[in-house]
Amino acid sequence: MKKIQTICLLAACCLATGAAGAETISPEAIQAKAKTCAACHGEDGNASASPMYPRLAGQYHDYLARALHEYKSGERKNAIMAGFAATLSEAEIQGLSDYFGHMPGKLDDLSHHQ
Amino acid sequence: MTKALFARVLPLAALLYATAPYGAEPTSSQAARGDAKAGRALVYTCGGCHGVPGYGNAYPHYHVPRIAGQNYDYLVAALTEYKKGERAHPTMRAQGESLSEKDISDIAAYLSSLTP
Repeated sequence: MKKIQTICLLAACCLATGAAGAETISPEAIQAKAKTCAACHGEDGNASASPMYPRLAGQYHDYLARALHEYKSGERKNAIMAGFAATLSEAEIQGLSDYFGHMPGKLDDLSHHQ
Repeated sequence: MTKALFARVLPLAALLYATAPYGAEPTSSQAARGDAKAGRALVYTCGGCHGVPGYGNAYPHYHVPRIAGQNYDYLVAALTEYKKGERAHPTMRAQGESLSEKDISDIAAYLSSLTP
C-alpha cells in the first residue's frame, strides 16, 4: 500500500514539474515584460544613463536567471529587484534572461584584457 | 569684535553646510572614482574565474558573469556587498573581505573602463 502511495506521489511530482516545464511564453509577452526592466537597465540593456544599475546586454543568460532566482528567493537582497522578481514565473525568468543575454552589449570576459 | 568674527565665520559655516552633502556622499561616478591603473594590477586574481570564457560555477551550475565593461557604481556596490557578507557566494565573499574600499573603487574603475 505504501509502495503505491509512493508511486502515486512520484507520478504527481512528475506531472507537476512537467506542466511547469511546458509553460510557454510568447516573445511578444517577454518584450512587453522587458519594458519594466528597461526603465533602469535601458532599452538596449546597457544601463548607460544610470551606472548604479548593471548592464544586462550580453551577460550570460544563465547568470541573469540565477540572479533573478536569488532575488525571488530573497538570497540576494535588493529592495527594487525583490519586488519585480517576486512576480515572475519560471518561464518569464528564463525568457527575460534569454532576451537580455542575447542582446549585443558592452560586457566581456576578462580573457581579452589580460 | 564678536560681530566681526560672526561675519567671518557665518559665511564659512554656510559654505561648509552647503557643500557637505556632496562631499560626504560621492555616490556618482566622476568625483570619487578609483584609480584604473591600480585596479588593473588587482584584477589579475579575478581572471582565474572571470577570465576563462564559459567558466561555470560548480554547483548550482551557471556561468560566472562577464564583468569587463560593467558599470562603475554597480561594481562598487556588488563588491562592497560581498565584503560585508550581504551577498552569499563563498568565493566572492572571501575576495571581497580581502579588499579595502580603495581597492574596490580601483577595481571598479579599471573594469568599467574596458571595452570589448
